[in-house]
Amino acid sequence: MPKSLRRILALSAKEVRHVLRDPRTLYLALAMPVVMILLFGYGISFDLEQLRVAFVDHDDSATSRTLRQRLTAGRDFRDAGRLRTAEEAEHLLVAGGAVGVVIVGEGFEEDLRRGRRAEVQLLLDGADNNTAQQTRAKAEAALRVLTMELGAPEGASMGEPLIDARTVTLFNPEARSAVFLVPGIAAYVLAIVAVLLTSLTVAREWERGSMAQLFATPVGRLEIVVGKILPYLVLGMLTVLLVLAVGTWVFDVPFRGDPLAMAVLSLLFLSGMLGQGLLISVVTRNQMVATQVATLSSLLPVMLLSGFIFPIANMPAPLQAITVVIPARYYVEGLRGVLLRGNGFAELWPEMVALLLFTLFMLVVSTARFRRTVA
Amino acid sequence: VTANLSMLAAVVLKELRQTSRDPRMIALLIAAPVIQLFIFGHAVNLEVDEVPTVVVDQDDSRASRLHLRRLLADGTLTEVARERTGADARRWLVEGEAAVVVIIPAGFERDLVRGRPTEVQALLDGSDSNRSGVAAGAISAYFSGVAEGLVRARMARLPRPEVRSRVLFNPTLDTAIYMVPGVAAILLMVITTIVTAMGLSREREVGTLEQILVTPVPSTILIGGKILPFAMFGIVDFGLALVVGAYVFDMPLRGSLVLLFAVTALYLLTTLGMGLLISSVSSSQQQAFMGGFFFMLPAALLSGIMTPIHSMPEWLQPLTLANPVRHYAEVLRAVLLRDATATDLSTQILVLAGMGIVLFAFASFRFRRALR
Repeated sequence: MPKSLRRILALSAKEVRHVLRDPRTLYLALAMPVVMILLFGYGISFDLEQLRVAFVDHDDSATSRTLRQRLTAGRDFRDAGRLRTAEEAEHLLVAGGAVGVVIVGEGFEEDLRRGRRAEVQLLLDGADNNTAQQTRAKAEAALRVLTMELGAPEGASMGEPLIDARTVTLFNPEARSAVFLVPGIAAYVLAIVAVLLTSLTVAREWERGSMAQLFATPVGRLEIVVGKILPYLVLGMLTVLLVLAVGTWVFDVPFRGDPLAMAVLSLLFLSGMLGQGLLISVVTRNQMVATQVATLSSLLPVMLLSGFIFPIANMPAPLQAITVVIPARYYVEGLRGVLLRGNGFAELWPEMVALLLFTLFMLVVSTARFRRTVA
Repeated sequence: VTANLSMLAAVVLKELRQTSRDPRMIALLIAAPVIQLFIFGHAVNLEVDEVPTVVVDQDDSRASRLHLRRLLADGTLTEVARERTGADARRWLVEGEAAVVVIIPAGFERDLVRGRPTEVQALLDGSDSNRSGVAAGAISAYFSGVAEGLVRARMARLPRPEVRSRVLFNPTLDTAIYMVPGVAAILLMVITTIVTAMGLSREREVGTLEQILVTPVPSTILIGGKILPFAMFGIVDFGLALVVGAYVFDMPLRGSLVLLFAVTALYLLTTLGMGLLISSVSSSQQQAFMGGFFFMLPAALLSGIMTPIHSMPEWLQPLTLANPVRHYAEVLRAVLLRDATATDLSTQILVLAGMGIVLFAFASFRFRRALR
């Protein structure tokens, strides 16, 4: 056994030398994640503010002008100008100049004063459905409240609301999307770096012919697999620390849970992703194909199927079934648990078991597929 | 001219033969994007409904049961459990098994009957800010509607506002038809940039580039011939993406297809130019791959495809103007969904064309210099 250990360490040392000779790998593993998390932490957000809303005011009364002015006074909406006709409004939406148009009909002020139904129309660009949905909710509520206020008879007031629905948001009281997204971004960045780091190592040895030399030595398949992964695991854990440090300091993401649980989760996840990269490398034996497979199997799935941006619960059943084998899903869930909800081993053991199974599977398959034949 | 053309054809043919020798490469270039588009078109859905909810009904009266039933009826919230106390219910949030707790306090019905103000509490798991926002909105909207009804019953002459919304272009607010054009833009970039960057670095690594250099083929024709096959793959992939989008996801094809293919060609000029540029600064396939990744990740995420650009901080928004993916995705979405014309999109098209030409010219200049 110690002999085997020595061989593994020797292989690792060789890999470390490879990495050190080309510092770009170090840069990829340490600097790129930080740059990415900064860029994405700022760049990815669903917090919609300053939505551009245009107006068609057929009434042109004091009330309708006040409505327009008050609606765009807050942070939610920005005035995108006044148009004359509904056709102009539609054309503005086609050209993408606004997300919505408020159309106030003729006689709005009069209707309001007389207590008749006072109608306001809202035209929305539905192409971006999420923005449209949120704009609709915000604008409908704001328009209703404003119209009620503008039309209330002098001196009358609605009084205290009879039912006060008090909502208390736990874990992320300001509902900042960065707090929600940063754990996901961290998982994303780690997954990509881990797969990239290993996906080329074995393929490169095949292409350059050094694999044959390796086979001339007494090193076993499992030893090669473990020896190749080990240095990148250390590098990856450093990346985890860096990424978490940036997340908590720059984006004020809390760290409420058990650091040890976090370390275990990260270790398992990293091993799994490194194993996946290695498997790709072992199977393809060709750097070009390896990179394509690595990209297609890590870039998009981790972004789209991990629940990092798009909720898994919304996906159709077959896709939900696929997410079961996406390790990033468990890591994102675990990170959110540890960071935001203060979880520890008691809550997160199922995620850990899932990650462990994935890692074991990857290592076993990589070793099994590792042929000691020179093609 | 004919000599040049035949040389170009020879390089293109060589490139095609080399690519098709490995059938996995063809699968990756043609089948993978289609499968990906198919899967991801189904995956992207930001709609919030059936939020798991724990109910704490401390009043247990006819009124509380009625309002809870109505609150849950619209499908935004789904009851997963009932608890006796708020503390018990909170455990569900900590464990991540539920995202909302609705608490109706004791005395709710009595207060309502006597016309006294009463309070309903909702605890939300804010770790998913999008979901908690929608859930909070649904709860507030329901109870303020109930309260307004109660006030209206007592006061006759309240204003009666009515807001009627009409959603254009995508009336069912379907996510897929908005996302499919975006995902197609990303896939096109991933395939063309990486393949170009690595293909050229590979020839340099293996040493075959030098062999080509001793032939009489001028470097411009060499570059053109190496790029053209991948541009063709890109155009084919784009056509396939349109077919998948239209047939699988019912994405409308409203605008001009000619315009779409023309703009796609401009976009491919930028992505292929980027690939060429990357290969000119990398000495190995690994470096080319990393370079490609370093360009593609920010380009994909800061394109407005996944999250809207106007949600980004003010200082970041102008940076996205330098991103070809942003302009291309805007054109795709506008033409496909809103039937926009070239005049509506003149800015994006001009920027894309300018970027493509400058990038490509610069890249071929650098590449030619790197060859010497």
